[in-house]
Amino acid sequence: MQKTVLIVEDEYLIAMDLQLLLERHGWRVIGPVATVRGALALLEVELPLVALLDVNLGRELVTPVAVALKANSIPFAVATAYACPEQYGGDVLAGVPNAGKPTNERRLLAALDQLLGF
Amino acid sequence: MNTDDLYRLLRTNHAQAQGIVDTVAEPLLVLDASLCVQAASRSFFKTFGVSSYETIGQPIYELGNGQWDIPELRHLLEEVIPKATAIINYEVQHDFPALGRRTMLLTARTLHQPDGGSRSMLVSIMDATDQRRRDVAKDLLFGELRHRMKNLFGVIQSLASHTTAEGRTAEEYRDAFLGRLAALIEAENLAFAEQEESGLAELLGSILAPYSANPHAVLIQPGEPVVLAPHIIMSLGLIMHEIATNAVKYGALSVPTGQVRVSWLVEEGGKTLRIKWTESGGPPVASPAASGYGTRLIQSAAAYNLHGQVELDFAIDGFNAEIVIPLGSASPED
Repeated sequence: MQKTVLIVEDEYLIAMDLQLLLERHGWRVIGPVATVRGALALLEVELPLVALLDVNLGRELVTPVAVALKANSIPFAVATAYACPEQYGGDVLAGVPNAGKPTNERRLLAALDQLLGF
Repeated sequence: MNTDDLYRLLRTNHAQAQGIVDTVAEPLLVLDASLCVQAASRSFFKTFGVSSYETIGQPIYELGNGQWDIPELRHLLEEVIPKATAIINYEVQHDFPALGRRTMLLTARTLHQPDGGSRSMLVSIMDATDQRRRDVAKDLLFGELRHRMKNLFGVIQSLASHTTAEGRTAEEYRDAFLGRLAALIEAENLAFAEQEESGLAELLGSILAPYSANPHAVLIQPGEPVVLAPHIIMSLGLIMHEIATNAVKYGALSVPTGQVRVSWLVEEGGKTLRIKWTESGGPPVASPAASGYGTRLIQSAAAYNLHGQVELDFAIDGFNAEIVIPLGSASPED
């Protein structure tokens, strides 16, 4: 089964960077998508294996997406510059692996591996 | 100070001490061993709206209708201070009837009298509420700056890794990358500038400045003034840079006789911005065989970041482009 990952990131250039990097490592990317509304719509169509979330989407926080993922038991990581994402995005982000920003290939892959239980 | 106070102070040899106490800017209390107030600074009376009559000689817990009867303060005065010589900046949060919820920093020191057994205690009370509020605001601002900076690094990283390297010399790659970086820097400068300087005219002026050596080559025809939000400035700056470099490589700006006209319109009562880019006098235009990174960057930055659209028209007598983006804070799907 192919590994699928939902990417939520509001900056296109960063989203594309994440997408190409993960595709090189055998992931199929759902999205990327820039808004909470867009992400929730994608989740209606297909549930990914894992998700990678930017916390601050410019004009909104990613929190509702994290809540929806949790309700569906889908593990997720954040990719954010915030040291304590839960301070900004709420308790649903507490203890979640942070792949960091800007993208560091090794750290990102390690965070996703952690979600898969490796 | 009334005569009773003076008498009391004289009796306890503290006349000089009171003078010192009054020079302290923060509210200050001198307590005796039974925690009654021996002396208080002027600023104590002023800050807490009490008179010396109702303060001096009273047990601290009974002052001002018991407003100092705070469990944390009791613990500090009765348990902590007797065992330590001094306590510095002990934080107490409390609802003071006259002041509301405040954060107070208490600094206390025990004074042992030379005559032996008796001791008194100096307690200064600093209202740190506003300072704390400022600290929280500063932390938030710092968090935002950090977020913005890391985002910027992410964008630069992405530009570096996706600027085409195949089939180019290192110099060509470097110039293409540095051109994009320069556009990003110009846009960031504007995004952080004062509001009146972060307009569309300023953005176009600075992004297109490198191509305006010949004053007739690039003609900006200003529409009504438009102030741009920071997230729009960055994406729009990159888009305009890509269109301009394309004109330099293949379009009107590749020949001395060519001209670019840039104009804009604000539509739907300020909700939509339409920018027009029109080239003339250049070599015959051919549609690109495959869309390169630059074209994808233009399309995606407009659609994904700006929720707008771009039309690129490779008309044979001159390339032209139209960029339509929503202005204001609401995204189009809201």
